[in-house]
Amino acid sequence: MRQDCLEIGTIQAFIDGELGSKDVTRVSAHVAVCDSCAFMLGEAEDESAVVFPALEREFNSLVPTQRLWNKINDSLTEERQSRPFWQKLWGTLSAGLLTPSMAAAASLIIVVGVVALALINRGLTPTQTASTRPVVTSVSPSSSASTDRVISPTTPESTIDPVAPPARIERADYRPVVHRSPATVSDVPAAAKDTSSAYMPGEESYVRTIASLSRTIADQKDNTIRGSERMSFERDLAVVDDAITKMRAEVRKNPRNESAKQVLYSSYQNKIDLLNSVSQKEELVASLK
Amino acid sequence: MFGQMVYRPLVERPAAPPAPVGMQPHSRAHGWDETSERSIKVDPNVNLSLCVGEGSLTVNGWNRNEVRIFVSKGSKFSFRVQMKSPKTGEPALILAVSEAEAKNKAGSWSECLHGEEIEIDAPPGAVVNLKGQETTTVVDGIRRVSIKNAGGDISIRNVSAGVSAVTYNGDLTVEQSSGPMSLETTRGNILAFDVGPSEIGDLFKAKTSSGAISVQKLQFRQTEINSISGTVVYNGEIQTGGSYSFGTSNGTIRLTLPLDSACTIWASYGGAFNSEFPLKIMTEDLKGGWVKSITASIGKANNTMLRLTTNNGSISINKQQ
Repeated sequence: MRQDCLEIGTIQAFIDGELGSKDVTRVSAHVAVCDSCAFMLGEAEDESAVVFPALEREFNSLVPTQRLWNKINDSLTEERQSRPFWQKLWGTLSAGLLTPSMAAAASLIIVVGVVALALINRGLTPTQTASTRPVVTSVSPSSSASTDRVISPTTPESTIDPVAPPARIERADYRPVVHRSPATVSDVPAAAKDTSSAYMPGEESYVRTIASLSRTIADQKDNTIRGSERMSFERDLAVVDDAITKMRAEVRKNPRNESAKQVLYSSYQNKIDLLNSVSQKEELVASLK
Repeated sequence: MFGQMVYRPLVERPAAPPAPVGMQPHSRAHGWDETSERSIKVDPNVNLSLCVGEGSLTVNGWNRNEVRIFVSKGSKFSFRVQMKSPKTGEPALILAVSEAEAKNKAGSWSECLHGEEIEIDAPPGAVVNLKGQETTTVVDGIRRVSIKNAGGDISIRNVSAGVSAVTYNGDLTVEQSSGPMSLETTRGNILAFDVGPSEIGDLFKAKTSSGAISVQKLQFRQTEINSISGTVVYNGEIQTGGSYSFGTSNGTIRLTLPLDSACTIWASYGGAFNSEFPLKIMTEDLKGGWVKSITASIGKANNTMLRLTTNNGSISINKQQ
């Protein structure tokens, strides 16, 4: 490179038409005799040829949009792939930093990049271990390679990792994790909360139905039954719960006590009927609107 | 006894002129303030359906093949014929729907009839299906009725071929009726008097959560009566070969039976067990902690079964005087 070689900024200004007529003549004369400057000019022109068509619509509209960034990124990627690394770096930096419009674009790209990195890091922090993430289990023993992501009932939906792969709900063998723990049965009498193995034949279905109904009407009953009606409901529920607790204790004490079993089952049924009446009333009232 | 129809001549009630503004405070707010009446010639076994959003409702059987609806101080309405009878060519399935020109409180158009009083006259062979909000309902002299109200008392008489009545807050009374019966109230008493099956195998069911159930002169063989916190009282015959179940979680069961009654009793109770009838005890468990039980027979052994269950109450079986 000769001592009187042109600076890249001057070359870029030449390309952008920002030089005066004198300078244009000087640059043209120099490039005609200097191979290295001619090469730099060629490089800069190539870059401009790639970038400016991509920016044309955006510049015309004067409103930067996501499309702008997409095109810039695409153009840069394409360019990077076709050139050596040092050239890409040099060309991009020099051209971009010396031109105000490109400098702004480059700054925005950097900002976008930083924000993207920050988002990625936030979603997948190094301290986030498998134990704190949603439970991932392999449901199908026959296909060990395929795993389904199942959200544990104890994991609130809002904590679902945004970058984790989506749940494969299209799989036929997808099954949510079933927690048999009686803790999920919130409305079961204390005596019935021991273990599932302690259930009598058929009892578990009653317990599950009651738990499901209790959850269903938890919100409904505040709107559907009020005042003295609500008091009656709660009293009846207490009566039935008391009967269930007593009879269950009786059955556990003496599993051959058929009378206690009968009363227990009928008490379960009473509770189901009672809970059902709330949702049925809600349904009726809704149907009349 | 059953299905006694009373002829009620048609009383001409010309539609009242529009009421002055402010005369009907309850319906004025909704924009319903008219008194209207419509009738339609129908098949003798017509099936009529309607819902009642507001007002007291009376359904009467009359000896005309015609359905007439009278609404006082309420919404205009019309009949929708859903199906005609192939035999008579007359409407066999009709709906009565409101022509409400105003929206209800929820902001949606309602097809329910509204009014201070709603009267329906229908043929004795009519089947009437009703749904309602807080509605006091009286039904008399039709073939079958099905009612489901969010609240309000229901009184049914002279229905010949079946009653299904549900109210979630109110008393329920059925008299001199026959056919399968299902009576249910969540909060209220149930009284059934002089009721029986129209066909062999018809079932009588009465259920309340908070309230007493009183049944007299019942002729069903299949009977289920259940309350959660209320007394169950039965006064009547025990049909041979019948199956009767009386239960309450927190109340007393009192049976009053004819002197010649014969049945097997299975009773489970938390309080006391008393019988004026001599019992032939088959099994008895008085040592149970919360529940005692007894299996015994009254009179000559047969296949009639009485199942009595009360968790916290007593059971008494008395002789009719």
